[in-house]
Amino acid sequence: MSDIYLIFKNLTRKPLRLFLTCFAIMVAFLIFGVVTTLKDALNSGIELSADNRLVVVNSINFTQPLPYAYVNKVKAIEGVKDVVHMNWFGGYYQEPANQLVTMAVDPENYLKVYEEVVLSDAERDSWFRNQRGMLIGRAIADAYGWKVGDIIPMSSNIFSNREGGHTWEMEVSGIFDGRDEQFGTNFAVFHYKYFMETQTFGGDWVGWLTLTTDDPALNEQVAKTIDEEFANSEAQTDTSTEKAFNKAFIEQIGNIGLMIFGIVFTAFFTILLVVGNTMILAVRERTGEIATLKTLGFTAKRIFTMILAESMLLAFIGGLAGLGLAYMIVEGAKAFLAQFLPGLVLSDTVALQAVGFMALLGLVTGLVPAINAYKLNIVTAFSRR
Amino acid sequence: MTDNILFDLKGVHKSFTRGKETIKIFDGLDMQIKKGDFLAIMGPSGSGKTTLLNMLGGVDQPTSGEVLFDGSRVDTLSEGQLSKWRANNIGFIFQFYNLMPMLSAARNVELPLLLTNLSKKDRKNSVETALKLVELADRASHLPKEMSGGQQQRVAIARAIVSDPKLLLCDEPTGDLDRHTADEILEMLQLLNEKFGKTIVMVTHDPSAAKYAKRTLHLDKGEFVEKDLAA
Amino acid sequence: MGSIFSQISAVVAMNIRSLPQRFWMSLAMVIASAVVVAILLAFLAMAKGFSATLDSAGSENVAIFTREGSAAELNSVISRDQVNIIETAPGVVKDENGPVISPELYVIVDGIKKSSQTEANIPLRGIDERGFAMRKNVQITDGRMFTPGTNEMIVGAGILREFDGFALGEEVRFGKVIWKVVGVFSTGGNVFESELWADVKVLQSLYNRGSSYQTARVQMSSPNDLEAVRKFVADDPRLNLDVETEEAYFKAQGKQLSYMAYFGWIISSIMALGALAGALNTMYTSVAERAREIATLRAIGFSSLSAFVGTIVEALVLAAIGGAFGSIVAFLLFDGLNASTLGGSFTQVVFSFEMTGDLFIQGGIIALMIGFLSGFFPAFRAARLPVIVAFRNAA
Repeated sequence: MSDIYLIFKNLTRKPLRLFLTCFAIMVAFLIFGVVTTLKDALNSGIELSADNRLVVVNSINFTQPLPYAYVNKVKAIEGVKDVVHMNWFGGYYQEPANQLVTMAVDPENYLKVYEEVVLSDAERDSWFRNQRGMLIGRAIADAYGWKVGDIIPMSSNIFSNREGGHTWEMEVSGIFDGRDEQFGTNFAVFHYKYFMETQTFGGDWVGWLTLTTDDPALNEQVAKTIDEEFANSEAQTDTSTEKAFNKAFIEQIGNIGLMIFGIVFTAFFTILLVVGNTMILAVRERTGEIATLKTLGFTAKRIFTMILAESMLLAFIGGLAGLGLAYMIVEGAKAFLAQFLPGLVLSDTVALQAVGFMALLGLVTGLVPAINAYKLNIVTAFSRR
Repeated sequence: MTDNILFDLKGVHKSFTRGKETIKIFDGLDMQIKKGDFLAIMGPSGSGKTTLLNMLGGVDQPTSGEVLFDGSRVDTLSEGQLSKWRANNIGFIFQFYNLMPMLSAARNVELPLLLTNLSKKDRKNSVETALKLVELADRASHLPKEMSGGQQQRVAIARAIVSDPKLLLCDEPTGDLDRHTADEILEMLQLLNEKFGKTIVMVTHDPSAAKYAKRTLHLDKGEFVEKDLAA
Repeated sequence: MGSIFSQISAVVAMNIRSLPQRFWMSLAMVIASAVVVAILLAFLAMAKGFSATLDSAGSENVAIFTREGSAAELNSVISRDQVNIIETAPGVVKDENGPVISPELYVIVDGIKKSSQTEANIPLRGIDERGFAMRKNVQITDGRMFTPGTNEMIVGAGILREFDGFALGEEVRFGKVIWKVVGVFSTGGNVFESELWADVKVLQSLYNRGSSYQTARVQMSSPNDLEAVRKFVADDPRLNLDVETEEAYFKAQGKQLSYMAYFGWIISSIMALGALAGALNTMYTSVAERAREIATLRAIGFSSLSAFVGTIVEALVLAAIGGAFGSIVAFLLFDGLNASTLGGSFTQVVFSFEMTGDLFIQGGIIALMIGFLSGFFPAFRAARLPVIVAFRNAA
């Protein structure tokens, strides 16, 4: 027998209470794990954005177009490495409800700017050659069961085809993966040229530009040069880093961070209350036993440590169960949600944070009863009965 | 003062405050306990007998005066030193046994050994010896709630002697037991005193329990009213 | 012994009077259920406020035409020719100036959100006098209507509330063009207040739209006319358009935040499980601490039913107090709270959290569920307590 055995016996003396308390803790960490992972997935665009990537949009709003001529003008600016222009297609498959993020791009430059889009050389070359070819992400391929070589009717909720209707036939040239697990593969890209030649609006315009700089240190200078270059043109530009652009976009949805914080905070607060009270009660019920241990010669410090260890153990049993459950739920939902909310991964950071909170929870809930036990006077404890 | 004296109390004062009142329990108490003694302390409630026992056991401190154990002061020890001193020298036996309800008899007996550096094997041997002595070897794996009051008190005695302390302090050890069981327990204490040389101090209000002791002191209002000549 | 009811009320009164002895445990249960209710109400009020903002915007007597499959005004395109054909549709109300129709443009511009100081999408709607008059409850609350043919605009009350730089008299720059804010309008709190309105013809030229529009609205005399309009569109191959009542169009968009209500229910239900675990602890402790009292009552002839009911009522009272407390806190914190989020047309919808009576009922239900479940099992234990406990020692 050792102190650990004593701690374990104390913890398990009321199995129902132990179960209920662990369950409450599990719930808190389940919420923490899942909700924080959701937030991370929403923010993955910010986290994964490349340091040296800039986005050039129309200064009125990013939904307003830019003249095609800007592509080469931007390319000529010092410090710019590669530039790709992109157009929002407003894609859907068969029903307007089945929206697919689809963009018309300049293929070669696209793959230069977005190095995290990974596909085989053969698929890449076949896409370059096939003007009706498109690349689809793994998430889309999985969701719709599309394979390389399939001919897919892609519809647009904005544009019309010169041949009539809103649908374009495209061939799946390749299926790409992300270099990073968190990288969302829930989109498709196809040839800008094909798009421009077949849609009814006509014109020489692009949606926006994405470029890479030679060095992240040049970002600010390059952005300034671009915006100054077009300051007196018909369409003024607004150039920002990809990170800032993505961040501003997420913030359009609302203050998600505050909401997540609110949920997690209240969940922890509630559980803290429940567990803290239970620990105080559990230790108070043992007043006589603690006095006996002290009489036998157990030091106050040793008893203090034992109670703190007990609350720590409680927090970790419940907490790890909750974290494990959160992991299983995230893994289970990952495939299902890949199309709408890519990048759903319970990261090491979240797990580490959770472990930190477990330690904190154990410390906070154990501290008061541990101090009570530390200070417990043998004489008064016995005379109270 | 000879080596024969285990406890020596000199001019012990003890008072405590309850609300605005200060209650004096001892006002200059002198007392000596010899090694190998079996002393019963009797007295009405409020006479200070439990407080005296607590001071002997180092769980309570005198307001002033000296308490010497084996020639050295214990009233000046710190809380932590006292814990260690209790673990090494004193075995306690309580009225309500005070066993840990979630531990088996053997583990209850083993508790004080957690405070020693004994090896696992030595601890096991000591526990077995102690349980055998109180005739409960066959109940080693039982929980307290599975045992009668008398059996529980025997487990408590085994716990008190397992680390081989010099002194056993018993607070109404038979207070919760029927006559027959009480006699068994008292015989056991007598055995420990006579055969194993344990010094025993027992607080009781039961005169027939006190008969088992070598001598009896009557405490009233903090003073011994009828001193034994042997003292 | 009196009737079963007087027994029960005696036990209930006794339990509730003894609550202060278990103050901290009971308080934990009250607060846990309060938190669950408050969280649920916050999400429900958010979804409610959002859908109310959109639901109330559409008129059932207005039909809205969009390009088929475009799903939102932003994506839609309608040509001048198509507008001309729509004018001849049956069911379109006519007045002295001809058919009551409003062809409109819908472009997105940037505004700075007050709360985050970041750029966010705001719709700039091109409209004319007819379109203005077609909106329900519309009125200029400050300043005046824009003058057609000029770079003047009027701003919705919601924009004024949530965005910087649109105060009356201010000049606003979108790209190279400078606009002047000449008026503030209100539409009774609905989604149109999250928009900027300017002359449609001016927008057409500034945004290179030629003579094309994005949507068209027509006035009908009754919602029943929609069928005739729909048939007219289906029969004309030049009209590859979707048509529905404006009310239905916005109702569909209002559902967009209903996932928030589901999310709220899921989160608060999971939290409720945690709170329930805590509440069960509280109630089992309560029964354990009152074991002697309960057994004593049973010994003098109280029924086990009274012990059962007494425990359940204690749990219900605690949870109900928590529920009421949580509702009050949620109401104070969230009712009327202004927020804005990205709506279906890819633009900010400014809305207020709305706490209505039916939400409080939902909050009450979840609180009482916690109370009932946390009382039920401990109540069984109370009812089954052996009477002998009353005669046992305190030890």
